[in-house]
Amino acid sequence: MLEFDRVSVRVRGVPLLRDVSLKLAPGDFVALLGPNGAGKTTLIRTALGLLPAAEGRVRLGGQDVRRLSGRQRAAQAAWLPQHHRFHEEVSALDLAAAARFRFIETRQASLDAARAALTRAGAAEFAARLVSRLSGGEQQRVAFGCLLAQQAPLLLLDEPANHLDPAQQVSLYRLIGDCWQQGLGVLCITHDVNLLAHAARGRESSVRILGVQCGSLAFESRLDAPDLGPRLSELFGLRLGEARLEGRRVFLPAEVAP
Amino acid sequence: MRKDAALAVACLALCLAAPFVGEPLSGENAAFILWQLRLPRVLMGLIAGGALSLVGGTYQTIFANPLASESTVGTLAGATLGAVIALVFGLGSGVAGVPTVAVFAFCGALAVTLLLTAIASSGRASLHSVLLAGVAISLMASALSTGLQYTADLNSMFTAARWSLGHLQQMGYGGIGMVLAFVFPACTLLLWNTRALETLAGGEERAHSQGVDVATLRATCLGAGALAVAACVAVCGPIAFVGLIVPHLTRLLVGASRRRLLPWSLVLGGTFLVACDALARAAWPGRELPVGVVTAALGAPALVWLISRRNP
Repeated sequence: MLEFDRVSVRVRGVPLLRDVSLKLAPGDFVALLGPNGAGKTTLIRTALGLLPAAEGRVRLGGQDVRRLSGRQRAAQAAWLPQHHRFHEEVSALDLAAAARFRFIETRQASLDAARAALTRAGAAEFAARLVSRLSGGEQQRVAFGCLLAQQAPLLLLDEPANHLDPAQQVSLYRLIGDCWQQGLGVLCITHDVNLLAHAARGRESSVRILGVQCGSLAFESRLDAPDLGPRLSELFGLRLGEARLEGRRVFLPAEVAP
Repeated sequence: MRKDAALAVACLALCLAAPFVGEPLSGENAAFILWQLRLPRVLMGLIAGGALSLVGGTYQTIFANPLASESTVGTLAGATLGAVIALVFGLGSGVAGVPTVAVFAFCGALAVTLLLTAIASSGRASLHSVLLAGVAISLMASALSTGLQYTADLNSMFTAARWSLGHLQQMGYGGIGMVLAFVFPACTLLLWNTRALETLAGGEERAHSQGVDVATLRATCLGAGALAVAACVAVCGPIAFVGLIVPHLTRLLVGASRRRLLPWSLVLGGTFLVACDALARAAWPGRELPVGVVTAALGAPALVWLISRRNP
């Protein structure tokens, strides 16, 4: 459903992605990890057609993403951006209904679907509140509700646990896991590999881990791969120690800076 | 719902009362004054005020900037430049029955906005830069108008100065038909795009991912807005502040959701201009104030008051 074929992206001559190839089939879960500035967000923006590929092809739903109409594109993939800019004084429900632009439908149908999506995202109680007055964590839940309201088969998530406290982080990753169980494709940028277990819940061997470094794909692995720790250590330039916690493997920085 | 109904009734009452404000209607000319002078004036106020406000609200959305309006993107200054050229050079009396001043004002407004649309859709400039370019074009057009007026004779200088204050005076319904021919399709097109504009208000890139073709939407709205404003300005002159202030007043009254904001801007903008014009007739017995003076003098304090009340 999403395919990068030897894609390079340059912005004003500066290479941001180099020769990236990637295939994401329906029902796949791909986690993108890498240091800040490695090109993870650029990859998602390119997948949405927000940035043109200087070389190679980006296909979404089998077609060149830059040739899709807006509604066709929105029917293929929905996006949770890293930062939200909710200056406008609109209610969470109105925002989620606006996310359903791709559907030609009555206002009532929009509202019903928006309300259902907010409920799934655990944001039903904020539906009538103004988004600009919500806390960061509440806004993130509303944003996830908007993502679900679009009902696309592929979710592009840019650090979805941003702004959330630990309990909220876990419950959001469980929700992402639920979406994946139901057959949605997920492409998720994260800095915390440990959170992925809450989405995987026993399907660790199906969670693909892509290491991104300096605009290229450094490695592809799985969440249950024995050598994931050393590979991540190399990726981040920081030794990650492994420990077992309640039957799960967790990674923690093992070094304290001198 | 009840608040909406109250607002609608208030607007209707104001518009119905407006023709009877001013010099008392009595004597043999009363019917002529009411039907041929006052009523067309109220209708023109409704159309121009509504169109200017709707376009202002739309521009604020597509530029994602609360200061965007037909005055900041240069539409009004372009119209003024066109009108001043026609007045100062005394160009003919009319084209196909339409006064030359109106034709030139129309072309000036359209030229400036289309120039800006071209800059916006080139994709090379950021949104803020496009708005900044609008302000720059606006200042340049104003400077040219002032320079031209300076070189002109006293008479045309005076006419140009009066024209640039905005006015709704007119006789009969000819002007209304002409304005409506542009304003109606343009406003219909803008309202047709309300849903896309509502999605766009959530952020440009987010709207892109949700299926809005942002570049097309922006060009459509700029073009339709330019047509509507150019037609209004050609007949009424550049009535200042309506397009800037009314959308903000409306937002404070009915909320920021574009589905409500844009249609209500149309209604409230029309009512606002009609009320200002009635006030311009009544404020100074025996004389009339230019309506542009009243819109600014009344609208600015109203906005400040509403803002201070809303955010304690």
